[in-house]
Amino acid sequence: MTSPAVPAASWIRTLEAPADVWAVFLQARRRDAHVYVGDVHAPDAEMALLLAKENYARRDPCVNLWVVPAREIRATAEDAAEMFVPATDKSYRFGGSYRQQQRVYRGGYHTAPTEDDR
Amino acid sequence: MPAALATITDPAVRAAFREWLLRVADDELTIGHRHAEWTGVGPDIESDVAMSSITQEELGHARLFYEQIAGDEPGGPDLLAFGRPPAEFRNAVLLEQPNGGWEFSIVRLALYEAFEGHRLGLLARCGQEPVAAIASTLGREERYHGLFAATWLERMARPSGDARARVQAALDAAWPYALGFFETTEADQILINAGLVGKSAERQRETWEGMVRPLLEGCGLAIPAAAAALGGRRGLHTPGLAQMHAEMTEVWGSDPEARW
Amino acid sequence: MSTVPAPLEDPEQLARFNARIAAGDQLEAGEWLPQQYRFEALRLIQMHANSEIMGALPEREWIPRAPSLARKMALTAKVQDEVGHGMLLYRVAETLGRPREEMYAELVEGRARFHNVFHYPAETWADVAIIQVFVDGAAMQTQGALRSCSYAPYSRVLKRICYEEDFHIQLGLDVWRALAEGTPAQRAMLQDALNRWWTPIIHFFGMPDKVSPHTETMLAWRLKVKSNEELRQQFLRRFVPVILEYGLVVPDPGLRWVEAEQQYAYTEPDWEELKRVGRNGGPKSAERLALRQSFYRQHAWIREALGHRSAAAA
Repeated sequence: MTSPAVPAASWIRTLEAPADVWAVFLQARRRDAHVYVGDVHAPDAEMALLLAKENYARRDPCVNLWVVPAREIRATAEDAAEMFVPATDKSYRFGGSYRQQQRVYRGGYHTAPTEDDR
Repeated sequence: MPAALATITDPAVRAAFREWLLRVADDELTIGHRHAEWTGVGPDIESDVAMSSITQEELGHARLFYEQIAGDEPGGPDLLAFGRPPAEFRNAVLLEQPNGGWEFSIVRLALYEAFEGHRLGLLARCGQEPVAAIASTLGREERYHGLFAATWLERMARPSGDARARVQAALDAAWPYALGFFETTEADQILINAGLVGKSAERQRETWEGMVRPLLEGCGLAIPAAAAALGGRRGLHTPGLAQMHAEMTEVWGSDPEARW
Repeated sequence: MSTVPAPLEDPEQLARFNARIAAGDQLEAGEWLPQQYRFEALRLIQMHANSEIMGALPEREWIPRAPSLARKMALTAKVQDEVGHGMLLYRVAETLGRPREEMYAELVEGRARFHNVFHYPAETWADVAIIQVFVDGAAMQTQGALRSCSYAPYSRVLKRICYEEDFHIQLGLDVWRALAEGTPAQRAMLQDALNRWWTPIIHFFGMPDKVSPHTETMLAWRLKVKSNEELRQQFLRRFVPVILEYGLVVPDPGLRWVEAEQQYAYTEPDWEELKRVGRNGGPKSAERLALRQSFYRQHAWIREALGHRSAAAA
């Protein structure tokens, strides 16, 4: 079995944060997903949650918070971004509309189809 | 006459209820003023920010209760907050003490929050609107204040040695003053007789001690055997109040009629 | 006898980096950065973080003396925001390679820099209005421009900072209005505060940029987006009308609008004062650094106690 031309590890990285940095995820309203809003420095998870409330939810609506040590996060490498960009027509994922595919890639995740696409 | 007091027909009961509300407002104002002094100089940046929020909420609670007392009187809550001399303040003297180190402020907050949470419960059941409704909504902010104090207390006091010794010293200093939360005047019995308060001061103190003892002893701290340092509920204050009052009223006092 | 040359950047990597920025791209934390870029970005962001932390000091003096419950709460919230900005900015600086504790220690020991305006006294309640309108207003010009800088973490934090600074200016204008429309004593206090703060605020934007390789590099790398003079003029265009609208006097008698140039002419301030202040030689520099040091030492046992806990949990 030959090993892959590019070792798997090179497309993954850690965030290289200090041990006391916690990433904070905020859920604005009950049906929303948790969204990353920034970090806090704290000695442990309980303190991180306590501090996250006032450091990130003073003005923004919030019903729930998650924290995770930032150094536990695994990410794709920056230069792996090209893997996510389609090279071919995948309009079969967009109801057959290539225009809709392009609109989504330019405009973002929640773009709804319009009359033009039907 | 303010709505909060208007429905009480008996003047003695009305005066007693007003005195109770003034204790709440003055407690929140004095501790809020002291906590405000931590703005920008806390032990770490995130806790500095969190303590600032607690401060703002305490001041906001004070304003709410002053509004209930003042009603439509000209001058409103600011006149009550800024216009009375120290001898007319009815706060517990623990709350007017200078901040000391962070450990003293946290110990004080832990002792106060247990008391305040319980007091808000009594107010929520006093049957007088809109005070009862207000008191029941404030509980959720107080909950965070209590968590903040407990979380910090545990982390400072659990490591044995120098850290715990410092927190113990703070508790030794604070405890006698904390007993002053439960100091009574003629107003307390009047309120009990009128059915506005369902628990004697002594029973309230027992409940409070039942809440703080596990927290303190759980951190390895010893509750001092000390007599209560009283006076606040009767307007007999320590130099801390005169000092903070002078500072607090410096600009307002330069022209009480002006709009700031 | 031969000297070891300073490590040079891989020219291909550097060229790719420069091309990305020229194309309008932004860098994220953890990407490869030329050493000089990292150095310049860190210096810029660290000074900004330091300034938020030191900037809390003049205003917090007035929280105990705020003349109404509403002002007391609002001023506490405002200073809280500044401290919060410091938190956000130190985290950005940390992504460029320096631990927060190290940067903070450097600041309180007087070995780091912070913006000139925070070396001056806040002598009266009216100073609060001037700081919240004009000092924050000045900072908004640079912060607003840098939202399009090339370091993405900084750019994102600046958007949040600008959003919050907007509230500060609104609240500041409310205090300003109360004083400007108040008693003669209040108006006099406000004018006096404006007079004392004017030069430091003009200084804030820095000397007009020299044409130099350094400035060119900063612009090319989008760590500088607008020139010092552009930002100063932007500030004057927005805030001189506020002074005139309330019938107060612009403290510089030489300030005038030059129609032909579509900009303000003003009396050249003493730039030596700015240099002195920048070396922590301002009227309040020593006192404020001493205050920070005093609390930093006071809290040392707490840092240790909490560090002990995180070491035990690890």
